[in-house]
Amino acid sequence: MPESIAYILYGLFAVGGIALYLAMPRPEGGYGKSGALIGLAAIVGLVVLIASSFEVIEPGRELFYILGAVAIFCAGRVVTHPRPVYSVVYFMAVVFCVAVLLVLQQAEFLAVALVLIYAGAILVTYAFVLMLAQQALGALADIKAREPLLAILVSFVAMGAIAGRVSELLAAPPPVEHQSMLAADKTAELDAPPPAQDREEASDTLRLGEQLFGKFVVTVELAGVLLLVAMVGAIAIARKQVPVEHVGPPPPPPGRIGREVPPF
Amino acid sequence: MPSVGAYVILGAILFAIGLVGFLARRNLIIIFLSTEIMFQGVVINLAAFSRFHHHLEGQAFALFILVIAAVEAGLGLGLVVLLFRRKRTLDAEAWSAMRG
Repeated sequence: MPESIAYILYGLFAVGGIALYLAMPRPEGGYGKSGALIGLAAIVGLVVLIASSFEVIEPGRELFYILGAVAIFCAGRVVTHPRPVYSVVYFMAVVFCVAVLLVLQQAEFLAVALVLIYAGAILVTYAFVLMLAQQALGALADIKAREPLLAILVSFVAMGAIAGRVSELLAAPPPVEHQSMLAADKTAELDAPPPAQDREEASDTLRLGEQLFGKFVVTVELAGVLLLVAMVGAIAIARKQVPVEHVGPPPPPPGRIGREVPPF
Repeated sequence: MPSVGAYVILGAILFAIGLVGFLARRNLIIIFLSTEIMFQGVVINLAAFSRFHHHLEGQAFALFILVIAAVEAGLGLGLVVLLFRRKRTLDAEAWSAMRG
């Protein structure tokens, strides 16, 4: 039973790879529409497969399917859209989908941090850099992919390896202590050091904070130092004066522009 | 099968799409954006396993990954701006002379 599921999964991955290949930007226009259609078909197949063979136990099951499908589609658009600004907007959609998926997995603090950091800081930086580095619309760098077939082969073989191995591992009966996903409260009681007044107080966020500033306090300090170094480095890089080079063919020497006139 | 499998497959798909973008696109900014998609896949995986094992270490790791992503965006985009000022283009192929 799990083997047939794995093969169906590989088949769907192959269809998705074909869709991504078709949707890659090409100078002559490309097959974006058919790529999008095939990609949507692959995503629908994936949803049906996961719905029929995996047990998504938590209550937000429909939400998982919808958000997962939207995230995959938007990620595909980020990678294939010929105009970078649209890519950034689609990436924002991916971030929001992932944030809600994190909420479904009871990682509320992580979800809020993701939205704040990605949508609030990182994507704004991307948008600013896009505006700073304006190049001509439809530049060749945007509309011509570099070896898309090889890239898709490498990536999708890696993805099939990961997903196949994982589904193989998970097909084995889980260890005893993980058997029940609903046993969370028992371990929560073991982990939480102070007995909170009510269950709402001892949330995951509280325990995450305790862990961050207890067990991982040195790592938190290191992360702070890393951010400081990166900030100093970014300022140093951005202030550097650079000579401007010309790309492409060198400009013709003066006096040789225009049509040639035979000597009088 | 426990519910973690579906999340892991979703994370693997996002990672692979990001890898495609990283390898195949030529615009430097899109290349960095693709690495951010790969980060999203990893964060989904970490949160799923954190829930699977009833342990918050995965979420702590995901927070540190967010720090790394912020550092990468800051430094990488600074370098992109520097490269753009030098050649007036975002094409990664403009730097193929560095291949040696």
